[in-house]
Amino acid sequence: MNVSLQWLGDHVDFSEYSIQQLDELLTFAGIEVEGIESLPNHLVVAQILSSEKHPDAEKLSVCQVDDGSGKPRQIVCGAKNYQVGDKVPLALPGCVLAAGEGKSFEIKEGKLRGVDSLGMMCSAKELGLAADADGLLILSPDLKPGTPMAEVYPAVFELEITPNRPDCLSHLGVARELAALAKKPLKGRAHFGETNTSARAAKADEVRLESGACPYYTARIIRGVKVTESPDWLKQKLISIGLRPINNLVDITNYVLMETGQPLHVFDLAKLEGGIVVRQAAEGETFLALDGKEYTLEAEDLVIADAKKAVAIGGVMGGEDSGVTETTTDVLLEAAYFNPQAVRRTGRRLGLHSDSSYRFERGVDPLQVAGVSEFATKLILDLAGGKADAELVVAGCPGEGPQPVALDNDYCRRIIGAEIPDATIDGILASLGLEKTGGAWKIPSFRLDLVRPIDLVEEVARVHGLDGIPATTMATFASASKADEAYDFLRSLQDRLASLGFHEARNLKLISGAQLADDLATSHRGMSPVRLKNPLNDEQDYLRPGIVPGLLASASRNVRFGTSDLRLFEAGRVFVASPKGDEIEHEHLALLMTGARIHRSWADSKPKSLDLHDLRAVLEAICPEGVNFVPVSDGKLLCACSVEIGSGKKAVKIGMAGIVPPARARELDLDAPVMVAELNLKKLMSVVKTEIRFADLPKFPGSSRDVAMLVPGDLAAGEVAAFFEGYDESLLISAELFDVFTDPTGAKLAPDKKSLAYSLLYRAPEKTLEAGEVEAAHGKLLDSLKKTFHVEFR
Amino acid sequence: MLAQLDTIQTEALAAIAGISDEASLEEVRIAFLGKKGSLTAAAAGMRDVPADQKKDVGQKLNEVREAITSALEATSADLIAKKDAAAFASIDPTLPSRPLPKGGLHPLTLVLDEAVKVLRRMGFALAEGPEIETEWHCFDALNTPADHPARNESDTFYFENGKLLRTHTSSVQIRTMEKEVPPVRIIAPGSAFRRDEIDATHLSAFHQLEGLYVDQRVTLADLKGTLEYFFREIFGSKTEFRFRPHFFPFTEPSFEVDIKLHAAGRPSKWIEIAGCGMVDPAVFSEVGRKRGDAAYDPDKVTGFAFGMGLDRLAMIMYGIPDLRLLIENDVRFLQQFR
Repeated sequence: MNVSLQWLGDHVDFSEYSIQQLDELLTFAGIEVEGIESLPNHLVVAQILSSEKHPDAEKLSVCQVDDGSGKPRQIVCGAKNYQVGDKVPLALPGCVLAAGEGKSFEIKEGKLRGVDSLGMMCSAKELGLAADADGLLILSPDLKPGTPMAEVYPAVFELEITPNRPDCLSHLGVARELAALAKKPLKGRAHFGETNTSARAAKADEVRLESGACPYYTARIIRGVKVTESPDWLKQKLISIGLRPINNLVDITNYVLMETGQPLHVFDLAKLEGGIVVRQAAEGETFLALDGKEYTLEAEDLVIADAKKAVAIGGVMGGEDSGVTETTTDVLLEAAYFNPQAVRRTGRRLGLHSDSSYRFERGVDPLQVAGVSEFATKLILDLAGGKADAELVVAGCPGEGPQPVALDNDYCRRIIGAEIPDATIDGILASLGLEKTGGAWKIPSFRLDLVRPIDLVEEVARVHGLDGIPATTMATFASASKADEAYDFLRSLQDRLASLGFHEARNLKLISGAQLADDLATSHRGMSPVRLKNPLNDEQDYLRPGIVPGLLASASRNVRFGTSDLRLFEAGRVFVASPKGDEIEHEHLALLMTGARIHRSWADSKPKSLDLHDLRAVLEAICPEGVNFVPVSDGKLLCACSVEIGSGKKAVKIGMAGIVPPARARELDLDAPVMVAELNLKKLMSVVKTEIRFADLPKFPGSSRDVAMLVPGDLAAGEVAAFFEGYDESLLISAELFDVFTDPTGAKLAPDKKSLAYSLLYRAPEKTLEAGEVEAAHGKLLDSLKKTFHVEFR
Repeated sequence: MLAQLDTIQTEALAAIAGISDEASLEEVRIAFLGKKGSLTAAAAGMRDVPADQKKDVGQKLNEVREAITSALEATSADLIAKKDAAAFASIDPTLPSRPLPKGGLHPLTLVLDEAVKVLRRMGFALAEGPEIETEWHCFDALNTPADHPARNESDTFYFENGKLLRTHTSSVQIRTMEKEVPPVRIIAPGSAFRRDEIDATHLSAFHQLEGLYVDQRVTLADLKGTLEYFFREIFGSKTEFRFRPHFFPFTEPSFEVDIKLHAAGRPSKWIEIAGCGMVDPAVFSEVGRKRGDAAYDPDKVTGFAFGMGLDRLAMIMYGIPDLRLLIENDVRFLQQFR
């Protein structure tokens, strides 16, 4: 909402406040100042003394103007809408004007088509006072040349009023609030709750309320009005806050709205057929609104109708056909209270919002309705003439206003945590217009937000401010929660991965349907991806069931921007739905590696590409227990492996790893092999040792034997490793694969064979083994290997 | 005899002085100290020395052997040192390093971790909740009116079954109070979602850090002290901030916290950094209704809650101009945070 400083001045004298001080006053009232518009320096009122044709330009004139200095100033001007003697805004050299889109330009002395021009006369648009303008802004003839324009158009504050404070959606409301905070008197009335109007209940054929959404409606007939232009003071007020003057009647309703916060509507009485009926719309009823658009209404919408048709959408907008025109002579002035929920629902459904609906949605003061109607009637009679009916026609009842609220000052002090004296508490509440009567506070009718004791505590805290209360730090001890353990576990993984050369990525959790194809489907057998009902677009319509799709997109983007050696990881939430439709959330960790194993440098000018074994090394570095890669068939990856910790029946599957099919990788501009893994963090955490126990160091040396064996080319090393793992020989400590040899040419080795060489370590805990003991154990092992794999030893 | 020993010493030292390789040095050693060496031969002549001279000659013999041996050792050490130095002489220590892959953490992780470290020192434990939430946890229990604009389908992501993507981490306040009894002192970092088109200052998913403290006598002064301490730890002890009255449905009184940002060459300005307030009694009542007990009786417990945007915090701490950088994972961006 725009609030003009000058307009506020009608209610409170803030003349000694700087704009910055007012900004602060508003801010600490809880009213956010989103912007302040004020006219620049070196911009003054000037009177046009003469105007002659430019010697060399058809469309330009050369004017002499009085800028207040006593010496005429020459300005070349292209506008045509002025007359000699008019007063206009003049930007003097040095004046900086906004040029839109955050840019600005400075006025300088110059020549236009060879004629000196010592400044610029301005339109309303050039000063940011209107969106459009036709020619110069013609100012009031009463202004003195040389007067700074900042005095003519004082600053305008763009305010954000929080939804709990609809009473501040008017100049009077803001003034009332600031006056209380600045401890200043209001010049006039604090609100329009009292009225001298005599009222009478509406007859059934005058106003009939058929909907609970409008509990209170008033109408006043005024006959013989003359619709004309508004006087300058009124036009200037509306322009100053960004509204366009239309005619005196419409301008009055807008002015009264911005002044009091109570929306009004004026119907052309000649266009109403019969009395007013406030009713729910008929399903499918169409309505042509003032904005020129036709709306199709539903039964939940509230309309103001005459005997035949809807003439307004209650609280939202009037109709094109029943509004005031230049020929209007008799009018019906509507002032009413509409139910906030009803107005909000209709406005939202129709996408139709107005200054009126904005206020009704948040709540207007029902007790002010009649008073504001009276205020507006008086303005209409003053500015448009005519004669008003003596009585206000009233249907329904405005209610009794807010209930008194009792506040225990100890409760207030207990919540705030400061020894604020009773006098201070009472003083703050009284300054806001509350009255202590008996044991409770009487709430002003416009403060719809003050219902409970805590609401009064808020007022005390707000006005008192936090500067004056102590900063205390009461605390209790906290035990580590499950979330703490998970956080620490992940943090250690993050640090390890960063040390291993990985950059941490964070992708949006919303992905496209197409990206689902990249998901490794690690933790959702029988599960389905979760789709949004109202996605923003089809690039983000699914919640990610895994992280790899996002990492692939990140890798693709990096390669396109020139970084092709990549190690990325990401940890976070993933989502799937069970067959029953329950959403399940897991924490995952995903890794992606592609490109060279090390950046090319003098030390290695032809580095090798990363491969699956590098990925496994990384997984083993973050899982001290070691991981097993168990090949599985999976259409989505080459060399797809289930990543497992432990073996045999105790094996825990923690995720999947493999190579992205090159065809898919190339679609993403990834030419080098791309290795990915996706792990379930909770499973990983469950198998990682939390307790570490010391084991005795070996006291006696061990003895090692190497064995090289020929095996079928397709025998997985993992099977041999599993053999050693399960081999029952207490002396065998370890078996390390130190060579894998194949020869596709068949020269040294049959092409369908491979040679695996292991180093085997034998050791006994209690003594140094003798050669014979080692040989015996080793011989037994070789026999067993031979039986199991039909190997030949080399 | 003494003169002969002097001669041997002079000859030996002269021979050693001229040597430049280990093999020749060994030859010299053999020539003087070997089995057939001249000093060994001279020592054999000891038996012919008269008894009264034996002491002097013996002493001289030892002196000569000592002198030759130490000259041999010194020269040998010198030769080895020269050889060792030659072995590394070709190394250019000014070459660039042999590369290791370098990695690092995402700036949001760094900011979160910084915040978590401080808050843990202050006795907060972590808590979490689902990101796919019920409308009750996200709105109803947080005292948000049924027709509040935040519930619009234009602002919030919904699922066919009526659930939604949580619009704030404040739902974790409710999740925690459902399970735990006071005192509750938690922080909950996590994602939240709003149906915003992505641009430089908006993401459809963003990161928040929520805080909640509920106990018998938690006050607004405690909230002030807690956040002041927190932001001074994060931004420095001289940080200026202000508590601006504000409105949230689930706290009353409510405030927004601004800190004063000083950027070189620009006027300093207040930047909104957190929302906070005292837990609205209506929230306690709703939690109590759901729990079916009096653990959160609004007449007995009070509490404060706060929430801040981690993305915004990262933007401020690192001077990041565009939120999209935080989700694009460009390594050229990420490597700035190692």
